[in-house]
Amino acid sequence: MIPAVERTLTLRTRFEDLAGQVGGGVLNVAQVAGGMGVLLRRILSRMFPPRLDYPELRRNMYKMSVKSVPIVIITALFTGAIMVIQAAPIVKRLGAEGLVGWAASFTTLREIAPLLTALMISGRVGANNTAELGTMVVTEQLDALRVLAIDPISFLILPRFIGIVVTLFMMTLYADALAILGATYCAKALLHVEPASFYHGMTSGLLGFGDVANGLIKSIVFGIVMALASCHFGLKTTGGAPGVGRSVNATVVASAAGIFVLDYFISFILG
Amino acid sequence: MSIARDIGAETFELARAGRELYSVFVRTLYYLFRGRRERGAVVRQMYEIGNKSFVFLTITMGFIGMIMVYQSGLQTKRVLPEFSLLGATFLELLTRDLAASLAALMLATRVGAGIAAEIGSMVVTEQVDALRMSAADPIDYLIKPRFVASIVMTTALVIWGGFVMFSVGGAVGYFAFDIQWRTWASIQLVSAGDLITGLTKCVAYGAAIPVVSGYCGLSTFGGSEGVGWATTRAVVNSSLAIIILNFFISGAAYVLFPK
Repeated sequence: MIPAVERTLTLRTRFEDLAGQVGGGVLNVAQVAGGMGVLLRRILSRMFPPRLDYPELRRNMYKMSVKSVPIVIITALFTGAIMVIQAAPIVKRLGAEGLVGWAASFTTLREIAPLLTALMISGRVGANNTAELGTMVVTEQLDALRVLAIDPISFLILPRFIGIVVTLFMMTLYADALAILGATYCAKALLHVEPASFYHGMTSGLLGFGDVANGLIKSIVFGIVMALASCHFGLKTTGGAPGVGRSVNATVVASAAGIFVLDYFISFILG
Repeated sequence: MSIARDIGAETFELARAGRELYSVFVRTLYYLFRGRRERGAVVRQMYEIGNKSFVFLTITMGFIGMIMVYQSGLQTKRVLPEFSLLGATFLELLTRDLAASLAALMLATRVGAGIAAEIGSMVVTEQVDALRMSAADPIDYLIKPRFVASIVMTTALVIWGGFVMFSVGGAVGYFAFDIQWRTWASIQLVSAGDLITGLTKCVAYGAAIPVVSGYCGLSTFGGSEGVGWATTRAVVNSSLAIIILNFFISGAAYVLFPK
């Protein structure tokens, strides 16, 4: 039997525990956001006028963009097909086979292609980049650069930042085109909508350049968030090899959460 | 020549990875019935996979629910005169696909990365070899508890995520398009087929994430840098697995449960 005083005490410590956890979480998020802001300012100060290492930029662009093409192709083709499979019962119910092209392309261009491409690229490129930077930090290669009077931001971070943003932008363009291709042939197979009428539904005035631009603007914002998160956690790695694993995990989670939260605000602002 | 060689090498690599993945899956199933039972292992993994993903999943699913309802409401306005079926259609899509697939993509990033990083660092510090030397198969000891925990917790989190999306969507519908809650919360379009499809997806994704990430973790090589690579591959491959499974399950459901 626990005495009453002790019972209230445990209750109080439990409450303080919970409050401490919530407060700690808020402080943690604030710290990450602040760190990313400071990093962005440093990157921007090296961008105008540009002071960066061009061979490093080219190497990173190759590694990030060219090597990601296969997964983007697979993701986009399947996603486009899934969009039509999911839309098919609704289209049939409304008897609006002519509108399927518009519906599938609209969701693809505005939401699904930028979002899924960002998630895939964040898993492949963002996490990889954190692992690479983190390993450099824990093996003190960054300190070695500083000793040689080489600015790590313009030598390592700026090329990676530009690489990630450009990669995501280009991959979203690919994904837009390929997802619509997948959707076209899935619509032909499931709903017997000819590709010509599918494209007609797309281009007959319901969709405009605004819809494509909307998705591309999103992809740039996602790219910036992903690049900042990936570089921030990479640079903040501590604690040897297990620390690298923790950083990679933190990057993936922060990128995914950042992408979804920002997606809402951008959709709302762009309308 | 070199292109042909590259394609050939890639194909062989893919076939080999597919076979090993299959072997991990089959052995997991085998140990599910014949393996040793360690008390508390599954519960510990359920806490790691489920409870620790709860806040992350609630936030992301809430935001995506708001976007979807807002966007589809704006589009419905252009084609149909009224919103009375918006809620019912949204619920139908949630049950059949969106809740399971989106939540699973989120879990693939968090849970997949976690599993691969943990098992990967065990591999490079030779703890897995130590397990093998003690005649304990790492699949029985490491992957099986995660497999069971992931199936249970993915299903639970998908149901919770769907609930979050639907209620947040209802709030957006009320404030942005004046849809009353009573009109919104209608289950008239959800059929048993939709429910079966959704639950099948939960189980399939829940099984795919630990098997794929566990395989990536176990095939780690090359020290601490290798763990980073393994984590990356785990996230990408689990997400790809989810998208491909989604395609096949959705296609099968379209044929099996015609509307």
